[in-house]
Amino acid sequence: MSPLAQTLLDALHALLEFAPPLVLAALGGVLSEKSGVVNIGLEGMMRFGAFFAAAVAIGTGNPWLGLVAGALAGATSAALHALLSLRYRADQVVSGIALNLVAMSLVTFLLEAIFGSAGVSPPSPQLPRIFGHSALTWLAVVLPLAMHWIFTRTALGLRIRAVGEHPRAAATAGVSVLKLRALCVIGSGALAGLGGATLSIGILGQFDVRMPAGQGFMALAAMIFGKWTPLGAAAACVFFALAEVVQRSLSLTFHAADLHLEGLFLALPYALTLLLLALSRGRTRAPAADGVPYDPEGR
Amino acid sequence: MASSTWRQSLFAPARAPLWSALFAILCALTICFIAILATGKDAVNGYADLLQGALGGARPLGESALKGSVLVLTGLSVTVAFTVGLFNIGAEGQFIWGALAAAVVGNALPLPAFLAIPAALGAAALAGGLWALIPAWLKTARGVHEVISTILLNWVAIDLVNGWLVSGPLSVATGSADVSVAGTAAIRDEAFLPRLFAQSGSRLDLGLPIALAIAALVWLFLTRTRRGFEWRCVGAGPDAARAQGIPNARCIAEAMFLSGALAGVAGALIILGTEHRYPGVFRTGYGFDGIAVALVGGVTAPGAVLAGFFFGALRAGSTRLQLVGIHPSFAELIQGLAVLLVAAPRIFAPLLARLRGRASVSATAGVGASSEVGGAT
Repeated sequence: MSPLAQTLLDALHALLEFAPPLVLAALGGVLSEKSGVVNIGLEGMMRFGAFFAAAVAIGTGNPWLGLVAGALAGATSAALHALLSLRYRADQVVSGIALNLVAMSLVTFLLEAIFGSAGVSPPSPQLPRIFGHSALTWLAVVLPLAMHWIFTRTALGLRIRAVGEHPRAAATAGVSVLKLRALCVIGSGALAGLGGATLSIGILGQFDVRMPAGQGFMALAAMIFGKWTPLGAAAACVFFALAEVVQRSLSLTFHAADLHLEGLFLALPYALTLLLLALSRGRTRAPAADGVPYDPEGR
Repeated sequence: MASSTWRQSLFAPARAPLWSALFAILCALTICFIAILATGKDAVNGYADLLQGALGGARPLGESALKGSVLVLTGLSVTVAFTVGLFNIGAEGQFIWGALAAAVVGNALPLPAFLAIPAALGAAALAGGLWALIPAWLKTARGVHEVISTILLNWVAIDLVNGWLVSGPLSVATGSADVSVAGTAAIRDEAFLPRLFAQSGSRLDLGLPIALAIAALVWLFLTRTRRGFEWRCVGAGPDAARAQGIPNARCIAEAMFLSGALAGVAGALIILGTEHRYPGVFRTGYGFDGIAVALVGGVTAPGAVLAGFFFGALRAGSTRLQLVGIHPSFAELIQGLAVLLVAAPRIFAPLLARLRGRASVSATAGVGASSEVGGAT
């Protein structure tokens, strides 16, 4: 094989490692915000997903059960966000931030309580690899297309978009706004949980206390950059993953670790994300009722 | 990310902030108590140790007040940004730049103490304030939501300072092979914050009066000056404020600068008071905790002082928890749960209404109770 083809293949391989956690979480963000609920808690939901996927996979020896546990953990924490922001009409940003704070400390606490470690869990069984990547990677490839189809071609998708754009009108047409929003938030948490599970039982094969290291927020940025659409968000995630791949290879090429320059390279993807957000002004458009609490008895 | 509505809902809990906060903290403490029991550890002794480590004697009290002073400032930082309707998640990054600026200036300038300390504090305020102007500009000029931009800027600050500056260009270990001693050179003795009760073994330093004085000034500014009023107008209703001729963008920039400056000074207190250099490993989380302090404090300056010292005591006490095998991150768990509960004041609405109902028998406070329950308009 020619060197160029080999380089491209390596890059594709790396891309299929870095992008899936972001893609899954970003799709979760799209699902929640399309229905009108801001989800800053993606980071925390990913963390719960990553931890419980690893813990259950280690406990049962079965990575597939770990995968289910990761999705359930994400969905459960999202249900709390739904309860607070829909039932008790809490501020959605504050509720999401609070969820992140709880996820940060609770998972650290559980890691210590269950595995007696402040850093990493023991190695966990990993998901079997299909064509060199876990099933979750391939899910992340297919899911953006599936979600695009749901949003644009099905009645369910239309209803979700309707409660996010004009809940009062959707309610008049017979859609149960709060119920549908709750479902979307819970689904969003399940996706973020799967994104977290990709990190722990898909890629690394153990849980690291630093997970997901800001990837939930990157996913949120990708969602905004992708204009709240599944395909746009997925494309943005691929771009961010590409930036990560380039950052790592540059870091290696320039011997960043020896020269104490690592931080400079690590900061690059975040700075780049910010720059892109700053440049994409005016072309992005959030769902009209995103973040607006819905009161069934209101005017 | 429509942000106009959550401002209103943020100001809504201010109707009964003290009760909400107390209920939330009580619930959080109970949940955590059960969590410790569930892991098979001794919860009663754990909480006794927590109390001992927070309040038992001069040294623990000093630690509590020391940590509390820093949290008061980061809490004020988040509170000030809230007044113009911005959610500053970036106090951590601003804290880090402030700490670095204090370490560099405290080391570089040969000044007497009465100049060295203000110089270092001023540099820290400037560094934190300038870093906070980035999200302010992104918000007003480019429409980037501040929650996203401040979070990303935290990572940029952490990576740039901890991963590069402190282990590279500003490191005392530059050139030598030993990376483990990385960290900046120690600050001059003149820049050390004087300890208030050194003879009692307490590390409590001048940071406490500094933090309290700043808190009082911020409170006076926000509630008693024209500019403070303008900021609150922008936070409560940007369109109405603009219609009255209050420039939104200028108010947001000013408030974010002050917000960042407060977080920067908080970082300086740690460096000048206890660390005396920017250490090679420095992940304190004081900036993140400022979010909890501000929210549990009901987004007011006096509330930030109360919540800051409470969480400071919790932080100091939680170091003792390791004795019974409980991870010190436990304090953060209590904090997170408390925020989760104050985020939804309506959870406590029925309870509050009942309390108010009793009070209104003797006083004419019934109006507040009815608006609390019937506030679903």
